[in-house]
Amino acid sequence: MKCSEVVSQLRDVLGGDEMIISSNGHISRAAYHFLPRPQLYLRGSMGLPMAVGLGLALAHQHKTIIVLTGDGNFLMGLGSVTTISYLSPPNLKIIILDNEAYATTGGQETVSTVIDYPSMIQGMSITAVKSIDPHKAPNNLNELLEQTIHESGLKILHIKIEKEIIPLDYIPWHPVRICLNFKKQHNINSKTEEKK
Amino acid sequence: MINLDEFLKYLDSLGFSLGTGVPCSYFKDLLLAINEYNAILYVPATREDEAVGIACGFSLGEKKAFVIMQNSGFANIGDALTSLVQLYKVPLLIFISYRGLKDDGDLPEHSLMGKVTEDVLRAYKIPYWILMEDRWKAILEKALYKMTQTSLPVCLLVENGVLCK
Repeated sequence: MKCSEVVSQLRDVLGGDEMIISSNGHISRAAYHFLPRPQLYLRGSMGLPMAVGLGLALAHQHKTIIVLTGDGNFLMGLGSVTTISYLSPPNLKIIILDNEAYATTGGQETVSTVIDYPSMIQGMSITAVKSIDPHKAPNNLNELLEQTIHESGLKILHIKIEKEIIPLDYIPWHPVRICLNFKKQHNINSKTEEKK
Repeated sequence: MINLDEFLKYLDSLGFSLGTGVPCSYFKDLLLAINEYNAILYVPATREDEAVGIACGFSLGEKKAFVIMQNSGFANIGDALTSLVQLYKVPLLIFISYRGLKDDGDLPEHSLMGKVTEDVLRAYKIPYWILMEDRWKAILEKALYKMTQTSLPVCLLVENGVLCK
């Protein structure tokens, strides 16, 4: 299964009010092209989507926050996964799309192949972690995506995907517009929230 | 040292409800005070750029967060500033301990960063002020006005003894 196919499948299980943070490069482009718009498409800040997701999860405890990350990005931000475990926000969901490569920059290999993701993540005291290779078990992906997004609690879903990517156009929005559209979508208004 | 209770009450009154960062001994008493202060949650980050990411996600929700770090750790946040906070125009208050001044002459790991800290801040186009014990509120007001007006990060450099005994 390719990145964009998993992202398309994710679309089918969304409730519609989730906040999705996609990581820089191909994954943000896939999120822009295959998910309802707008979402928070990161265009830089490699390694930080989990940290940004944690900040959003703490600020919006009534919303479900989904972080879409590749293996390269996840490994760069591994420290923030421990911080996430320490705080365990129940509304935060992390989906790792693992193709064992930096696909956006030409498919150079990451070190992902040496990692047993469930063991590593359970070692950080995050117990709600599942791993799936849709190539081997194609029917289970939908169910796992459903569980990850709709069941309460901090959850991580690790999905093995193909290295090959379908070329996608760049996101036409400037990051300032990405931010404004995202805030508008979720009715984030500084005046109402600051009064608390 | 600044009266830490007044300092935190002031940040709280402006809507800051989250602090995150990596500690410095210059922030030792401030961090103790934050832990006693119920209205501000402090998140210990593993790295300074992670702290910037957390504060950025929190501030995207239009709540307010501040970040603390040593100037050595400031050297870790270049990409988080340029390709996240500045690119997406997220207002952010950053406290950086100003190590490597003459008092730290005996700690060689801070010496070079101490000499270039302000050059680096200027290079990244981050407006900055040196936090002074006697005029802290006026300085903070000026920094926060700039932060809000530009919707960009601002920095306060904190010397030894200003936020710790």
